[in-house]
Amino acid sequence: MTVYRCEDSLESIFTAIYLSYEENREAKDTFLSLNEDPILFAEDVPVKPDQEKTLKVMRTLKRRFGEEDYLTVCMALATPDEDKAQAVYRTVVRGLDERYARGHLFDNLTDDNIMKAFSLARYADREIGHLKQFVRFQELENGVLFSRIGPKCNAITFIMPHFADRLPIENFVIYDEKRGIFGVHPAGKQWYLLSGEEVEEPRLNLSKEEKQYQELFRHFCKTIAIKERRNLKLQRNMAPLRFREYMVEFG
Amino acid sequence: MEYLAAENERSVMDKLGILTDAAKYDVACTSSGVERKGNGSSIGNCVAAGICHSFSSDGRCIALLKILLTNECIYDCKYCQNRCSNDIPRATFTPDEVCTLTMEFYRRNYIEGLFLSSGILNSPSFTMELIYRTVWLLRNKYRFNGYVHVKAIPGADPELIHKTGFLADRMSVNLELPTAEGLRELAPNKHRKTILTPMRQIQSGIEANKNELVLYRNAPRFVAGGQSTQLIIGATPESDYQIVSVAESLYQKFALKRVFYSAFVNVTGDRALPALPGGPPLLREHRLYQADWLLRFYGFKGEELLDESRPYFNVMLDPKEDWAVRHLEQFPVEINRAPMEMLLRVPGVGVKSARRIVAARRSCNLTFADLKKIGVVLKRALYFVTCNGRMMYPVKLDEDYIVRNLTEVKERVQFGSDGMSYRQMSLFDDGNFSRPLTAAEQFQTAVGQL
Repeated sequence: MTVYRCEDSLESIFTAIYLSYEENREAKDTFLSLNEDPILFAEDVPVKPDQEKTLKVMRTLKRRFGEEDYLTVCMALATPDEDKAQAVYRTVVRGLDERYARGHLFDNLTDDNIMKAFSLARYADREIGHLKQFVRFQELENGVLFSRIGPKCNAITFIMPHFADRLPIENFVIYDEKRGIFGVHPAGKQWYLLSGEEVEEPRLNLSKEEKQYQELFRHFCKTIAIKERRNLKLQRNMAPLRFREYMVEFG
Repeated sequence: MEYLAAENERSVMDKLGILTDAAKYDVACTSSGVERKGNGSSIGNCVAAGICHSFSSDGRCIALLKILLTNECIYDCKYCQNRCSNDIPRATFTPDEVCTLTMEFYRRNYIEGLFLSSGILNSPSFTMELIYRTVWLLRNKYRFNGYVHVKAIPGADPELIHKTGFLADRMSVNLELPTAEGLRELAPNKHRKTILTPMRQIQSGIEANKNELVLYRNAPRFVAGGQSTQLIIGATPESDYQIVSVAESLYQKFALKRVFYSAFVNVTGDRALPALPGGPPLLREHRLYQADWLLRFYGFKGEELLDESRPYFNVMLDPKEDWAVRHLEQFPVEINRAPMEMLLRVPGVGVKSARRIVAARRSCNLTFADLKKIGVVLKRALYFVTCNGRMMYPVKLDEDYIVRNLTEVKERVQFGSDGMSYRQMSLFDDGNFSRPLTAAEQFQTAVGQL
């Protein structure tokens, strides 16, 4: 029995999947673990993330299962779940073994691991959808748009392309305050991520009009509600409370 | 001129308040139907599924900056807050104000685009031209590439509507009242014919544009997101059956993308309108939306759901359950073998779960545990399906029994008290015979005073 000890990152988990094939491990005796909990009679293999191996796994997944299912796998790995690596590993192994066609990796939902990976991906996808709705930019003095988020999943990689496509001529920054990651988009250029210890909590000087527009939007949201139809429960269902601390209209 | 001077003093904040308040009873606030990538040089893109950016305290989504260009109106429709005989503050946005607001809100990700409607200022054509000018500015001067939904004003010059269609993603003409009589009674300045004319024009415009796009891939797109309309529910005594038939024929004959239903809120207090002490008929609106989905995505026909002898939806059961318990001869359905069309007719199975069932059963036989994981609502489905020839529990396929179980305990007490029952009559009935609805009762049901 083998246990690959991975870090909580896409690179590390993909490297582990590569290693399990490279070292010819029996899939049902192989585990991918994100923590250090000991398992009896198991051989521990620490995984060092390797770029080349990661790229190879990415390429294989894309070629065999198609772009969309590859993205679903990535989304499953963006969730904060403990067992995601194992579920994804088994899903991939089964898909490769049984030669699932492109776009059909997640069809067999009766398999527990596939189901688990699928529902994790769905969870991440929903949160990504929520972020696309609820991200609020504030204009700083120098015209840069700044937004703060605190999602449960590591979703910033998935929302940056959306906003880069939407606001190509704007300089904007999305800051994930839970993970300390900045997504930076310079106007007219490719976006990139910034993280590490050198980044510190940003200080914000808002532009002059910013407060006015926030006020206008708050007024708009208040006025558009029909008081005869008041339904706070429905509002809570649609706009969960945990997003509201970042939204101007609920501030 | 005094009036204009007073108007000039209004701040953007006041105007936004007045014109939002005037627009809020229009329900069409979707941003769906168009997939358009950003073009790299202007602001905005469109996502086919639509994105809602906020939710107001009535739980409705805020996707678009929904405003009127002006709430001054020469018409006197009895249900409308902006009718000319109503004494309310009036305001008018300038095209530039609308554009700046849209752009600044959009940059901050507050909204998905603009929804522009208007009261009738001077004449329909004059108003339509104002709308056209505003949207033209937004697209060309402010280079906005996001979603735009505009109203086509009935009675306006067709040329103006046509030109606006090339700038907008979705257009809509509100039918407001489902029948011509209702319209005549409550909206003396509107006629069914003038409403249907621009609708037909937009429809044929969209079709012509489709043919054009086949030949020339880069031809400008005309109303790419299709057109929609709105029906007010409960202001006039139409039955659900009439409303569903109107909606169905709008989908079929006018190729509408959406029909919206708006529970009537009495804002003007006109004596021709029903007072609604129980609040707007929200349940009725909900049932109509459920039926609407059944028409559009589940392959149902209007006359399957309702007919002349049963013109109203069941209050206790949703339209699909209601249909299923009346057609028990088609059930139970075997999950592992039934065709997609039949799966869609099972209560508790939606479009997504039906698709997942069809994909998953290729690799193995499904059990009830799998159905639960796939997302089927077993609470409702278990009376109507079998897995590998077995039902989940020993269940009687009996109308009375199923209805009793589908409606919850607390609701069961009310059920039957109004004479509506699924029970077969017997010799030993306690004389609670059903009788045809009286006109007064029909009216009460129609306006939601159940």
